[in-house]
Amino acid sequence: MNILVFTKRVAATQEEELRITGEGQAVDLSKVPFKVNDWDNYSVEEAVRIVDKAGGSVTAISIGDAESDEVLRRAIAMGAKDGFLVETGDVLNDPFARGELIRSFIDKEKIPFDIILTGVQSEDDQFGAVGGIAAALMGLPYASMVIGIDAVEADHVVIRRELEGGLQEKVKVTVPCVLSIQSGINEPRYVSIMGIRKASKVERKVFKADGYEKGSPKIELTKWVYPEKKGGATMLDGELADVCGQLLGILKEKGVCQ
Amino acid sequence: MSYTLIVAEVRRGVFEERNLDSLGLGALLGAQSVLLVPDGAYQVPDKFVDAIVKVKAAEEVYLNPMNMGRMLEAAFAAKGKPDNILFTQSSSGMEAAAYAAGLFGMPVITDVSGYDRDAGIFLKSYYSDKVFGQFKTAGVPAILTVRSGSFREFAAEKTAAAAAETIDAAAVETRTFVEYVEEEKTDIDITKAEFLLSVGRGVGNQGEVSGYEELAGILKAVLSGSRPVIDKMWLPKARQVGTSGKTVKPKVYLAMGISGAFQHIAGMKDSDCIIAVNKDPEAPIFQYAHYGIVGDIHKVRDKLKELAKG
Ligand SMILES: Cc1cc2nc3c(=O)[nH]c(=O)nc-3n(C[C@H](O)[C@H](O)[C@H](O)COP(=O)(O)OP(=O)(O)OC[C@H]3O[C@@H](n4cnc5c(N)ncnc54)[C@H](O)[C@@H]3O)c2cc1C
Ligand SMILES: Nc1ncnc2c1ncn2[C@@H]1O[C@H](COP(=O)(O)O)[C@@H](O)[C@H]1O
Repeated sequence: MNILVFTKRVAATQEEELRITGEGQAVDLSKVPFKVNDWDNYSVEEAVRIVDKAGGSVTAISIGDAESDEVLRRAIAMGAKDGFLVETGDVLNDPFARGELIRSFIDKEKIPFDIILTGVQSEDDQFGAVGGIAAALMGLPYASMVIGIDAVEADHVVIRRELEGGLQEKVKVTVPCVLSIQSGINEPRYVSIMGIRKASKVERKVFKADGYEKGSPKIELTKWVYPEKKGGATMLDGELADVCGQLLGILKEKGVCQ
Repeated sequence: MSYTLIVAEVRRGVFEERNLDSLGLGALLGAQSVLLVPDGAYQVPDKFVDAIVKVKAAEEVYLNPMNMGRMLEAAFAAKGKPDNILFTQSSSGMEAAAYAAGLFGMPVITDVSGYDRDAGIFLKSYYSDKVFGQFKTAGVPAILTVRSGSFREFAAEKTAAAAAETIDAAAVETRTFVEYVEEEKTDIDITKAEFLLSVGRGVGNQGEVSGYEELAGILKAVLSGSRPVIDKMWLPKARQVGTSGKTVKPKVYLAMGISGAFQHIAGMKDSDCIIAVNKDPEAPIFQYAHYGIVGDIHKVRDKLKELAKG
């Protein structure tokens, strides 16, 4: 099994205050730390596990600026054999443009594969769309929300998709195919700084995105805005003991606590 | 004909409630609304659409994105190409929307939660609702997935009853349904709890979880969590709150270290009283909470333990 796994470097904004610049032109990420997209961490791990059992090799691919090399090194430290960076100067907001770029890159470079893995979604843009678009453009079968891979055969895989409310569906998909991996499918291995340093010795290939079709963007992000305030919470202020006392008071008032 | 094609989501014989949001956005878009639905014994809100296209296919065939491509083609043949196609933002809608976009070369915007009709602008969340992007499509038919809870109040009743027609759909071989797999039954049912203490990624590491278990014990609350906590196996799957976990409605929902992503909010927003503790004053969860505390959850946990014991 040759597996291509897509991995994206994203801004870790969960604990950061985000500022929109100018008249809504951009989101200032200059002080925000970056990391591997959580979902892609699970899919790299899954790719490595499949190859450990079925043989073959894992190639990690990232689309982004030179800094994205970081997530390729990480993937190599986890067990990927190769790392390919498709280098692009501009941020491709449109998932269609990224899907098209993936199709034409794989096509033009004649990269062999049996299975392509992506994450269900990027933490930053949350489109959840790149895998499905790329699959359709390549004429491959597709499944997303993949929460278990039960069988990997030469011509098909049996997977479980996560649905709403804890329900799953078991599905058979022919190979080659594209699968988008849901978080929680496995326990991604720990990657040490030493491991990443060692992985740096493995050569990563850089391809310029200009050399491939990505079509013209089909959607345009015209402006960034803050969320509309919905009234919001009554904030409990004061010293820690005071705030916690107020909280206990609310619990009593609601009758869930004496 | 200028129309919006609304792809209904049905699962196990149920016409999902979040379809109402697609009907609402359909009404805002202004064109006629045509509902695509598998032919079955569903309660379809036919008052809210102008026409219905029933697909002669089993639910599992209908929900398969590869088959959906063929069904859409059949619908286009019957009705012409629509202005926009709406899917639900869900496990089946997200999958089929992206695939259809690739198949038909159409623009796609997912998780749409707002629409400005005059400006023709769609609103889409970024960074778990910390900021939103305003999007325009290049004036061509687009595919959109609709966030649950965002548009249902705009669904408008039509004057005439919707006419229905039926189309056929053949199933592909490349992806086939095998079976549904139910979640294992557990003794604790978080949907029955009156008081949930729910922890998120802000807990930091597994070693901290036991402290929250203790606090839950002292407060007589049941411990639940957001997805990352369950993904990391710090709590069992049955304790997950959200779209892919449980929908809960306790008297009190105390959320500690949870940011307030839409998939989480959808599972707890109807709780009687929501209290959020987060160190980020801008955390989206404060928009849904009744009471909020900005601070370190571990310190709040320890102080609550001390006060509640004493
Ligand atoms: C198809 C699909 C289904 C999903 N289903 C679900 C679901 O059912 N349930 C669900 O929850 N999610 C679900 N998600 C995931 C969801 O999108 C979010 O990723 C998730 O809810 C984030 O969880 P969180 O708030 O715990 O983590 P984060 O978003 O990382 O937030 C952590 C928060 O903790 C705060 N924090 C950190 N440290 C501290 C501290 N010491 N003191 C105080 N605050 C602190 C931070 O400021 C931050 O706000 C789903 C996603 C997809 C794509
Ligand atoms: N710039 C990128 N580089 C590598 N992979 C990407 C990139 N953008 C999206 N992907 C892949 O597509 C998945 C879904 O992304 P999205 O549609 O942006 O939510 C991600 O989890 C990645 O696996």
